[in-house]
Amino acid sequence: MGIKNKIIKSENLAHEYARRDESGDVTGIVRALDGIDVQIEAGSFVAVLGANGSGKSTFAKHLNGLLFPTEGTLYIDGMDTADSENTLAVRQTAGMVFQNPDNQIIANIVEEDVGFGPENMGVPTDKILKRVEECLKETGMYSYRRHSPNHLSGGQKQRVAVAGVLAMRPKCIILDEATAMLDPAGRKNVLDTIVRLNKKEHITVILITHYMEEVTLADYVYVMKQGKVAYSGTPGEVFQNVGMLRECRLEAPQITQIAQGLQKAGIPLTQGVFTIEGLAKELLELAKKR
Amino acid sequence: MIRNITIGQYYAADSVVHRLDPRVKVIGTLVYIVSLFLFNNFWGYAVAAGCFCAVTVVSKVPFSYIVRGLKPVFFMLVFTALLNLFWTPGTVFFQLGPVELTWEGLRKAFFLSVRLIFLILGSSLMTLTTTPNQLTNALEKLLAPLCHLHVPVHEIAMMMSIALRFIPILVEETDRIMKAQMARGADFESGNVIQRLRNMLPILVPLFVSAVRRANDLALAMDARCYHGGSGRTKMHPLRYQGRDFAAYLLCIAYCVLLYASVTYLPVL
Repeated sequence: MGIKNKIIKSENLAHEYARRDESGDVTGIVRALDGIDVQIEAGSFVAVLGANGSGKSTFAKHLNGLLFPTEGTLYIDGMDTADSENTLAVRQTAGMVFQNPDNQIIANIVEEDVGFGPENMGVPTDKILKRVEECLKETGMYSYRRHSPNHLSGGQKQRVAVAGVLAMRPKCIILDEATAMLDPAGRKNVLDTIVRLNKKEHITVILITHYMEEVTLADYVYVMKQGKVAYSGTPGEVFQNVGMLRECRLEAPQITQIAQGLQKAGIPLTQGVFTIEGLAKELLELAKKR
Repeated sequence: MIRNITIGQYYAADSVVHRLDPRVKVIGTLVYIVSLFLFNNFWGYAVAAGCFCAVTVVSKVPFSYIVRGLKPVFFMLVFTALLNLFWTPGTVFFQLGPVELTWEGLRKAFFLSVRLIFLILGSSLMTLTTTPNQLTNALEKLLAPLCHLHVPVHEIAMMMSIALRFIPILVEETDRIMKAQMARGADFESGNVIQRLRNMLPILVPLFVSAVRRANDLALAMDARCYHGGSGRTKMHPLRYQGRDFAAYLLCIAYCVLLYASVTYLPVL
């Protein structure tokens, strides 16, 4: 398969940074990423799962050209991120939504913030206005376009941030724990928006998270541990592998744990149940058969 | 108390004043402020007050919103008024022991307070009807000639707009930290000035740390959205003068003429 269909392709990607003590002397080298080989197809929905310190955020920053590989190479849509000529194009191709909603909104009015990216790219004024309108409608924030971000809820702010990334017309959106600071309702709104963008606009989504429930949305999951990809597979496969998850300091979603408990107790459920609806449906069918 | 500052707080409404080019508003406000200090006459203040009220009504900003901007400077206002009231020599109309009140003092105190009040109200009205981003846009454009003197006008404008964006966030954070410290038994109210200042330290340190962290995050977010300085940048809302802006400039001139006429030709009060 050619490099073109792979929006993200990393070869033995590694990143090191020096740990310093208070006087600035190097006390050790931390290898935050250690030989990552990943290929992600355009249009897919991929989750990167990992406990704190597993290197998943460092990986995300590489995808956006905010950090550069110490070793190995990373191609975004065929562009080598290490080449500084590509930096702006890489950032435009792979947009990033960060964790803290307050710290990534630059302007004082919602629509001006969404226009910030296109302004930097030198898009002509009339096109910026059109894009901003489209993107705010896409994320359901159009009615708030003249509001101050300070008066929005966390989930709304994150949707504005998503709109701000969309306005740059990316092929890929990276969410670096973008839902971690949100309440359940806000989290659902943001995830619904992301899923819709993935299905309708075929934008590649890289969801970086430590919430198991979010992983169920993905087509494919990479589990990271100490800078390495410890496991990869479909969400179903990942959740079945309880031992591996525990080793990575993660836990399968509650509903999968219940399903596995039921299986152990002798109820013939199929493998890989991880939604409440799915489990309910299977149990109903089994009950009918009896 | 710091929550009450309305400067930098945009009041969203749909009015002609809101739609005006921010450059008109900046220049208009400057003209207005300067004009307040050029006369000493009741008629002049009547004109200034009338014009201010007219603009306020057109702007659809609730009056209570604008007045809120006066609260933080209330004590300064009272203080300067009293100072002028008691320490201006002239015709005495009231005496109690060593305290003398003079007509001149009364007049001076009144004029000074009115001037300061309208100065603050006028600039509050401008910031309430102009988004800080528009404001910095206007300053960027008005100061653009300084670029030739190697003044980084774009960078300064960007810094101003970011500072304005984070003022409410940091105010909220200060509030949160204060409450957290109070819950742990910190005392911000008692003691003398030095003790009180020392008690502020547990607020300032976490606030400073958090501000630095936020700045770091924001810089990353700006990088991620392709920010690379002012070169090659377009504007979502570029400033272009419209018919109404020229009309507003004419109104400004009309105001000056009216003010001059009222001060010169009406009987002095």
